[in-house]
Amino acid sequence: MTSLNRLFALLFLLMLSGSLFAEPSEAQKAEWRARREAAGGEAPSEAQRAEWRARREAREASAKADESKPTVVANEERIHPTSGKSAPVPELSHDHGAMGSRPAADKGAVKPEEAARPSGRPAGMGMRGGGGAIWLSDSPPSRGDGAGRGGMGGMMGMGGMAMGGERSGPPSKRLWMRAGSDPQKSGFAREDADAQNETLIVRPQGPLDGEALAPPADGKKNLAFEMPVQGYYRVYASSRKLQGETLNISVAKAEIANFSHGGDEEERAQALTAPRVLDSAPIEIVREKAADEKMFFQLKSGDEQAFVVLQKGLPLQGARVRFVSHEGWSKEAVSDEQGRVSFQVIRDYFPAWDDFKKRFKASYLIIAEANAAEKGVFKDQPYSNVRYQATLAGNYYPSPDDYRSYAWGLGIGLLIVLFSGTAVYLYRRRRVKPFQEVRFDDGR
Amino acid sequence: MENEIHQVIPINPVPYSRSRQAGEAQTVLDHIVDDFQENPVAMQYFYDLFRQVYCHGDEIPHSGKLVGTTCIQAPEELIYAFGATPVRLCNGSYHYDQRGADFMPAKSCSLVKATLGMLSSENVIPKIGKPDLVVNPSTCDQKKKSSVMIEGMGYSVYDLEFPNVKESEASRVYWRRSVREFANQLRKLTGKRLTRANLKAAMAMTGRAQAAFRTLHNFRRQTPSLILGKDAFLVTNAYFFDDIERWTTAVEKLNAELAERQAAGFRAVQSKAPRVVFTGSPPIFPNLKLPLLIEEAGGVVVADETCSANRMLYDMTAVDEWLLSDMVDSLADKYLKPCTCPIFTRNDDRKRRLLDLVAQFKADGVIYQAFSGCQVYEMEYRSVAEEFNKAGIPMLYIETDYSPDDQGQLSTRIEAFLESLKNRKKRHA
Amino acid sequence: MTAAKPAMQRLRDAVNEVDFNRFRFWFQITAFILFVYGGYLAIDLGSKLPFFSCGYNREGRAGVCYLLPLQHQLGRNWAVLFSMASLTILTGFLTFAAWFIVLNKGWCGFVCPLGTLQDWISALRRRLGIRYANYTQGQFAQLTKIKFVLLALLILIPLGIGGGLFSHDMSPPFCLICPARMVLPLFTGDLSQFTIDFSSKTAVVMTALGISVTALFFVGSFVKKRFFCFFCPMSALHYLISKPALLKLKKDGSKCTRCGDCYAVCDMEIKEIADDVKTTNIMTDDCTMCLKCVASCPETGALKATFVGIPIFVSTETGFIKRMNKGCQHGK
Repeated sequence: MTSLNRLFALLFLLMLSGSLFAEPSEAQKAEWRARREAAGGEAPSEAQRAEWRARREAREASAKADESKPTVVANEERIHPTSGKSAPVPELSHDHGAMGSRPAADKGAVKPEEAARPSGRPAGMGMRGGGGAIWLSDSPPSRGDGAGRGGMGGMMGMGGMAMGGERSGPPSKRLWMRAGSDPQKSGFAREDADAQNETLIVRPQGPLDGEALAPPADGKKNLAFEMPVQGYYRVYASSRKLQGETLNISVAKAEIANFSHGGDEEERAQALTAPRVLDSAPIEIVREKAADEKMFFQLKSGDEQAFVVLQKGLPLQGARVRFVSHEGWSKEAVSDEQGRVSFQVIRDYFPAWDDFKKRFKASYLIIAEANAAEKGVFKDQPYSNVRYQATLAGNYYPSPDDYRSYAWGLGIGLLIVLFSGTAVYLYRRRRVKPFQEVRFDDGR
Repeated sequence: MENEIHQVIPINPVPYSRSRQAGEAQTVLDHIVDDFQENPVAMQYFYDLFRQVYCHGDEIPHSGKLVGTTCIQAPEELIYAFGATPVRLCNGSYHYDQRGADFMPAKSCSLVKATLGMLSSENVIPKIGKPDLVVNPSTCDQKKKSSVMIEGMGYSVYDLEFPNVKESEASRVYWRRSVREFANQLRKLTGKRLTRANLKAAMAMTGRAQAAFRTLHNFRRQTPSLILGKDAFLVTNAYFFDDIERWTTAVEKLNAELAERQAAGFRAVQSKAPRVVFTGSPPIFPNLKLPLLIEEAGGVVVADETCSANRMLYDMTAVDEWLLSDMVDSLADKYLKPCTCPIFTRNDDRKRRLLDLVAQFKADGVIYQAFSGCQVYEMEYRSVAEEFNKAGIPMLYIETDYSPDDQGQLSTRIEAFLESLKNRKKRHA
Repeated sequence: MTAAKPAMQRLRDAVNEVDFNRFRFWFQITAFILFVYGGYLAIDLGSKLPFFSCGYNREGRAGVCYLLPLQHQLGRNWAVLFSMASLTILTGFLTFAAWFIVLNKGWCGFVCPLGTLQDWISALRRRLGIRYANYTQGQFAQLTKIKFVLLALLILIPLGIGGGLFSHDMSPPFCLICPARMVLPLFTGDLSQFTIDFSSKTAVVMTALGISVTALFFVGSFVKKRFFCFFCPMSALHYLISKPALLKLKKDGSKCTRCGDCYAVCDMEIKEIADDVKTTNIMTDDCTMCLKCVASCPETGALKATFVGIPIFVSTETGFIKRMNKGCQHGK
């Protein structure tokens, strides 16, 4: 009987070591690719991709015309071939578009933003300087991206609570003001003396119209604040600047979810239902929460995420909204009558297999723009147009479908059920040897 | 044919009812019925039953194969489940005891000798018919050795292997296997299959009987007693051979009457009557010598720890899953684990059971019967006596057999013992 | 007073003679629905529950098994772990203990959804007429230690993770191999736990181990009653803090005949329940306090469940006869 047990254990271990401890084989990867293709949901649809490509190409073309940047269309073609139906779509297969290798091939060429910025953007958008839109990031430019911290830290929208080791009091959060339309490449925003700036923070249990948040202390570039209660903390960095006849109003927004497993449950419940809109904001992007969204929500590649553009708390129709992914891929849409616009979060994380991190924290950036023919006076200067710009940054993570396999899970499960089931059955059928529990050792 | 012979030969052989053997039963039964007052009306069934079976020699009908058992360890539920009828072969007749002396050494247990004597006679009383199989659990030495002798008398005998250490896991496993093997044997004998429904029905039948017994048992807690021990012994003795359903109904009737008696505040004995727990070798009709002597002397047997009564019917079986394997294993456990038979190595359970009975039934003392030759009971006397000594419970140890010769002497000892119990009671009060 | 007493006695008799298995069956179903689907009704009983109300059942859970937050807390960076911030570990443990103390291991026998599930799998086997398996005494003695080993690992591995010795992909180690993580979300239609995570080698090993344990869970609990409870580290943790519990399983050895009826019905094959006549507090480390032993004891008062010293369910002869005869009638 023990020998049977031993055999069982041995086989079990063999099976485990044979199939699981080994690195995923080529076959596995192929299977994995195939599955990705089959599952349409997690990747942008073919139509969408075509649309994105078209846009990019258009932008690329205009950039070339304007700046005559040494962008090679052929190069572009090579990296993003117009899809053959049967061939795997290259930008979605991780071993082809491995992140590490791409920049060498298409330096300066594929990133839409770099090409688009100098020409496609009206001049003087960045009132704090630095070029591009101003947005609030939870990481300074140097850090760029990175694997998020482990654990179940609640990350919603942006950041989540700082789980740093130095924490002793309430959790705190730091935000960096950055300028640019590429989450990775945007540098620090520069101060602009001409602009009128205001930074507000709306705390979960504070006043609904917010409180002023002190600007970064000398020598530091981040906005820091503490998060003593659970809930959503929202920071609005707004800036007004007159440029000719046009008043530029920009609102960079950050939303940080601060939740913990312990703590006051009532506080938590209250926070989950509290409004997440600042009525006084001239323009604002609100990430729409799905009906079944939980506290510790994480946006994943492939998810559909809706945003609402609001003006003074009312939906703004016709705003041009751009979604920029971590790698700089962008897509534009126009808000509908509810001010709503929805994007599918593209998968753009393709590291080499061994470098893959499932907690890789990527940032996306939403930029909404709208013009209005409003007349007024700003700093004693009249203006006849207002250009609104709102930004919102957030994080997203690799989709579990990218690294989790049902086929293997269920396969292994079924195999073990069958194997152990048969073993038990045979053991029971054969168990006719009584009184074998006392053994004699014939050895010395 | 026989009638013809009777006509030719003028000296007719004595019919059973006028034989010495019947006389022995008649005397005891008359004593039980007539020498005590206010016997329960429902006892009439049992008086009549014993009169018919033991005094008249009437036949006892049965259905299916007849399986004789020489000990309570043979699982009767299994026998019933196979559509056979179990009958307990242990006998209390002095007549058979003398007959059986041919098979065993002089100083052997009367019960074993009487059983052998009964089986060896042509006219077996109770008249149950010839068992198709005699199941002989390997308990005490004398029973073990009688196996071959019974076989020699022309019976087919099955030795049911019974462990003699009950605490160990090995013995549990061993005994479970024995019982399964026994079921196998019964299948061969009856040609029937053991089914869940059959075994369940059999267990329901014995379960009902046990429930009835337990109710009777509980009525005996009442002080002063509602029923005398001699009647209770007669009831459990009837279980040996009576149809189980009929027996249960009769006991339920008796219980109903006892409930009435309780409600009416009836007293079967004086309130001062010393209450006695009976333990040791089993009293089997017609050998109710000791219980009768005790109750004649003004005592009352309120409970017992014997294999002809309490131990046979008390322990009930619990089953978790009503599947054959679980039912059979649970049955096996019931026949081994709570057993307080002295054949086991240790007797902790017997001592605890006795102490519990004394406490529960508010007994004043214990009377310990050991049949001369029943070595295991004789040997356990010492440890049990020590236990009672420690607990401050008086005990009378009596070594006797089926012969009526020592009645006078025993009567004196018992009277003295009961007197001392009474005095003790007075002192304590 | 005299009028009240019979009423009280009647109530006691009614409880003691209850059709126990049926009562427990419905109690378990209710608890199962509450803890597996309660989340839909916005029920949240916190994250310190002393049984497998699995936190991975995100939609339906009405509370979270304490082992999940415990492992997370212990898996903190050591700098945090050994700071005042870890007071929450202590308060968390006290909350858990407060929950536990109420029902003692009764949580296992009456509430734990994974336990209930095993009972259902057993019921399925019973209906198919397949006998259950038993361990031999030797196997029992060896296997019974496993849960303590698992408990030790459940504490040590997170510490190792916090100290940087192990990968974060091992966290929370026990949850990753616990069948409840995979099985209970199934009941709310979440199959996502049945995947192999290829994101790292550790993740592959842990998820494969998890799925293997779950597969063994199904096979094991089909042939063995309460298969998993035998290895459950929660059960081990329970046992270690069971002294002050309010619900207790008591035995009066003087009334015990050692007939083994309680052992015969015991899902956990605990021999002591039948053979030990000296210990009064008879709950052992393997016990799930299902109280089936009390229900199947024919000796009045030999076994009883007490709450704060007050007997709430006592073995009685009449109760036994009622229950067992009921069992007899069922199959007829």
